[in-house]
Amino acid sequence: MANRRCFQTATRYLQSIKSLTAFSQSLPPTSTHALHQSLTTKPSYHIYDNNFNNLYAQSARFTRHFSSRPTDSEDDDDDDDEEDYESGEEEEGELGSEDESANLSAEDKEKDAAEIGYTVIGPLQKSDRVFKPYEPVFAVVQIGSHQFKVSNGDTIYTERLKYCDVNDKLVLNKVLMLGSQTQTVIGRPVLPDASVHAVVEEHALDAKVIIFKKKRRKNYRRKNGHRQELTKLRITDIQGVEKPEKITPLKKEKKENPGKVAVGA
Amino acid sequence: MSLRGVWQLQKLIVSFCNWGGSSRGIRAFMESDLPAFREKNPQLEVLTELNRGYHPFLKGLYKNKNERVVCVKNVTPEDVLQCANRLRNAQGRKVVKLKTRHVTKNPSVQGTWSTELKM
Repeated sequence: MANRRCFQTATRYLQSIKSLTAFSQSLPPTSTHALHQSLTTKPSYHIYDNNFNNLYAQSARFTRHFSSRPTDSEDDDDDDDEEDYESGEEEEGELGSEDESANLSAEDKEKDAAEIGYTVIGPLQKSDRVFKPYEPVFAVVQIGSHQFKVSNGDTIYTERLKYCDVNDKLVLNKVLMLGSQTQTVIGRPVLPDASVHAVVEEHALDAKVIIFKKKRRKNYRRKNGHRQELTKLRITDIQGVEKPEKITPLKKEKKENPGKVAVGA
Repeated sequence: MSLRGVWQLQKLIVSFCNWGGSSRGIRAFMESDLPAFREKNPQLEVLTELNRGYHPFLKGLYKNKNERVVCVKNVTPEDVLQCANRLRNAQGRKVVKLKTRHVTKNPSVQGTWSTELKM
């Protein structure tokens, strides 16, 4: 055990020295197994300090074939990370999630967006007349794991949608139910032909929430701040239902059906 | 951020010091990432101000006359870019806790349900 510790400290010291001295060029790449080999084959350590010389001497005496545990665990970590990320990639698991998203191809991003957020990115707005006046049509739409009953001109705050920028048009294709004055369409569970158009208005952070944990008389106290990243969407259009024609005939329809007049909540 | 297609951030002021060490990151940002940021946002007016002896900050002026100041002292250039992007993506509204995630003026289409409603 002590021998292994010495060996590990020795290898660590060696690795740190590698970066500093020119001796590193003659050594093979950093791996404990390779280092072990170099230690056994090259007994001349006159470059190092006396203390280190002793350590080296000790480790040279006890030439055991140590299981390269660090490298094994590194491999396991890489495998786990690879499984977590997209299987199609063969990137190292050490990369952060930001690098992963940058390395996804456009198709992968679309697929991701479609699967996770049920959004499809359309082109940016350029003098489109997207913001129509209110139409009495609603849709129940699902984004991620949240469902909203949505109408024209509404605003929705969702979790941060990764693959879209501000002022982007989106099509939300997971529509569970549609309804209007005259028609109601219920999906099982999704309506395939329906679509809800939205525009990304804002990517912002929510207000800070302070998470304070305390266990009394146990000397345990934690304080963390958290700001959730949100996306604000404005719903512009709902397609897939019969819509009443215009505003003026709509008022007539409202008068005809007094029982169904919307009562302000 | 844009409200109904209108960009809310009007002006971004990048204030830095050319001597102080806390401005190192923002100076590097100005050399590397600021031109690209300018090109990406042609609607945005980006100004650089020299403010000697002070810590650097990014100031965003919004259409609702709101000012958001973010101090970027001792911040890496990548993080400065992230701050700038956050200012650009945001509305000028005050950051308060959301009451609801769904803001609507017309809550009911087919009529609000009540116990007396006969279908």
